[in-house]
Amino acid sequence: MTIPQILFYIFALVTCGGAIAVVVSQNVVRMAFWLIVSLGSLSGLFFMAHADFVAGAQLLIYVGGTLVLLVFGVMLTASGAQRQLKMSPADGFLAAGVGTVFLTIIMSTVISVDWDGVSKTLTGEVVSQKIPTGYNKGEEGNTIRRLGLGFLGIRADKDLGAPEDKKISTGYLLPFEIVSIHLLVVLIGASYLARAKRKVAPRTN
Amino acid sequence: MEGISLNSFLFVGAILFVSGIVCMATKRNLIGILMGVELVLNGANVNLVAFSRYSSIGIDAKFIALFVIVLAAAEAAVALAIALSFYNNHQTIDVDQADELQG
Amino acid sequence: MNFESLLNKLIEDTLQLSLPLFSAELVLCGTIVLMLLVRLFNADKFLPAYIVSIIGVGISFAIACCDYSKLSTPGFATGEIFTGLLIFDQFTAFFRIFLLLFLTLVICLTELSGIPDREDGPDFYTLLIGSTIGMLLMISANHLLILFIGIEMTSVPSYVLVGFMKGRKKSSEGSLKYVVYGAGTAGVMLYGISLLVGLLGTANFSEMGANLHQILASQSVEGVALAISNPVVGTLLLGIMMVLVGIAFKLSLFPFHFWCPDAFEGASAEVAGYLSVASKGAAFALLVRFCLSIVGDYSSVDQFSNIYLAIGIGLGVIAVVSATYGNLTAYTQNNIKRLFAYSTIAHAGYMLMAVAALMVIMSADSGADINKAELASRCIQGLLYYLTVYMFMNLGAFAIVAFIRNQIFSEDLEDYKGIGKAFPVLGICMGICIFSLVGLPPFGGFFGKFAIFASLYEASTIHWSMFVVLCLAGLNTVFSLYYYVRILKTMFLEERPEGAPDFQSEPNLWNSGYVVIISAPALLLGIFPGRLSSTVQDIASVLFN
Repeated sequence: MTIPQILFYIFALVTCGGAIAVVVSQNVVRMAFWLIVSLGSLSGLFFMAHADFVAGAQLLIYVGGTLVLLVFGVMLTASGAQRQLKMSPADGFLAAGVGTVFLTIIMSTVISVDWDGVSKTLTGEVVSQKIPTGYNKGEEGNTIRRLGLGFLGIRADKDLGAPEDKKISTGYLLPFEIVSIHLLVVLIGASYLARAKRKVAPRTN
Repeated sequence: MEGISLNSFLFVGAILFVSGIVCMATKRNLIGILMGVELVLNGANVNLVAFSRYSSIGIDAKFIALFVIVLAAAEAAVALAIALSFYNNHQTIDVDQADELQG
Repeated sequence: MNFESLLNKLIEDTLQLSLPLFSAELVLCGTIVLMLLVRLFNADKFLPAYIVSIIGVGISFAIACCDYSKLSTPGFATGEIFTGLLIFDQFTAFFRIFLLLFLTLVICLTELSGIPDREDGPDFYTLLIGSTIGMLLMISANHLLILFIGIEMTSVPSYVLVGFMKGRKKSSEGSLKYVVYGAGTAGVMLYGISLLVGLLGTANFSEMGANLHQILASQSVEGVALAISNPVVGTLLLGIMMVLVGIAFKLSLFPFHFWCPDAFEGASAEVAGYLSVASKGAAFALLVRFCLSIVGDYSSVDQFSNIYLAIGIGLGVIAVVSATYGNLTAYTQNNIKRLFAYSTIAHAGYMLMAVAALMVIMSADSGADINKAELASRCIQGLLYYLTVYMFMNLGAFAIVAFIRNQIFSEDLEDYKGIGKAFPVLGICMGICIFSLVGLPPFGGFFGKFAIFASLYEASTIHWSMFVVLCLAGLNTVFSLYYYVRILKTMFLEERPEGAPDFQSEPNLWNSGYVVIISAPALLLGIFPGRLSSTVQDIASVLFN
């Protein structure tokens, strides 16, 4: 086994193990801990897939932001008695059944597809066989510049060197900007709900 | 490359997705359900990142993955605010206690 | 292309082509920021939030109308904007006008009925407009990312809107259920998107169909229909199904409807009316775009027609089950908002039948002697007509519920006894809305239903299952008569019990006027269907050029 393979299996094992531990845990605080473990090592998997920027964002935003928010939620709402979650055996069987069914479906479809064949049909080459060059040497493995330009709408990776009359490729300027409006609206909504409650006169019921 | 196949990534994604679904189906606590949602979203993100490396979609899938991270953060913020608002009214976030509306 | 010419092209595309066609949305974004600034500088005493929002939405509506009329000028090219992320055509323009008109009406309603109060106004209108921006993205989506962002931008503010009356237990419970189902289905939908993106190698709607044909063609053997056991077909169907789950949640279709009655009962009637119409309209526009994009070039689907047929029949089954479930469950309801929630589930079912018929027609062999474009555009026509009438009749019903709530502080059907006599205008308008919802001639709902049933009949010549759908849909219409009429019976034929609390105020001229204006189109569109039906005909035919 090569070193990347060993690293991949370690990260994959921790990710999957953490995810299953989230399901099995009976305690919200433990669930939160396992979720952090799982999603943190997932960012390691992203590095293994040469997605360095996504991996960094995963660590900074997901693990550092979203999950901390969830832990706050646990702290603010879980009082002693409810921190422990009981799962009845019937629920357990149901969960195992649902899980097995979904996993079987995905195994028999997604995992069995000849993905190399599909990408060969579409582009005429087997993408996964392309050997990436090392960091900072070429384009591969160093995604930040391409992603940054793409967010500004410029697809240098696709359009540079293309014929002059070609239509420019899909850039992501619009979602990049519109998400900021979304975040503003969400901020206002969340702060409204979390703000101290005014006395509301009973209207209906 | 390096002996890691696309299918091993997809397998990790599938495990995360199924764990998330099971978590959503069985947990009785709103925060627990939200954790299930995060697992599902991350399962999808693993797929996106892996496809971005191994299939013809290319870097576009990474853009989608990044937007998912942002949108998930926004969704979690609102869900927590709703959880707090529910907690203020009911002194619990056990979804089984949400039983006033029925029929 | 070098970097400089690339940059110039991008600037030209964004500033000259895309942004002018996006200005309606930009004005809405500006309104949100303006409302924040007004509150920041304590100017909301002189400039209440509803005035800011109604001016903003009004300007945006005017721009949308101008864009629509621009479309009919010769030489105006419609097509993809923002480098292929959005699409601007007659269909977009129609739904943009639909949503903005509806938003204007809802803002007027909230101002008349007094929810929200002065202090919460800016928050409420920010959320309302923010969620509408999401819908505007949904209707013009041309990319799977925009599909996801649109649905998220629509849903997340509406979770807060449902829980807006935060002091009330029911309100927070409704929003809790909404957020749980919403977040769950969004996750499932994203997994489906990831599968489609990986399989098709593109996320642009305009390329998805062609790539899909290419992949399926490489899998199929001459003369043998593609089986679902083929992993590629399985993955494809799984991905499509999961995306449809996300859309079905927005449409509150069975089995993703659980949130709907609870959220509607917990929310105020104004918010329930907004959610019932606007998010359905946007989700149907998105559904049509998504379905057409996976069909791709409809003249060359012979080889894999069974896949599209399966999707069509699946949608048909969901449609029938939703309609039947909604109508049967509505029988036993006592809370009027809950009753209308089940009725919206049923109506979403009726409207989905048009999309099911569309998919079945698309799956027809090219050997069959039919004009696919013609038949398919008739399905869309029915859908558009139905949605337009539905906007007026459903908003009318919810507006009346809101006004009556302000009079008797109750939303139980029990307490509606004798209301029709005390408030004749509200009562009569409720009658118009309800008869239109049932689909009796000469009300507008009749023509919508008739058009959809007619396209189901045409689809039944391609596959018999659509005939079953048609029959069950007809039966459903009869079922629904009973519980709708029960509302009217309570309002008009029963006496107000002795000792019932007094009404809060005299019948208000503004309220009555508003209700008349909203419910009149439900009647007028039934008596004079010509103008609207020729408009929707033009719009629908554009999709199949």
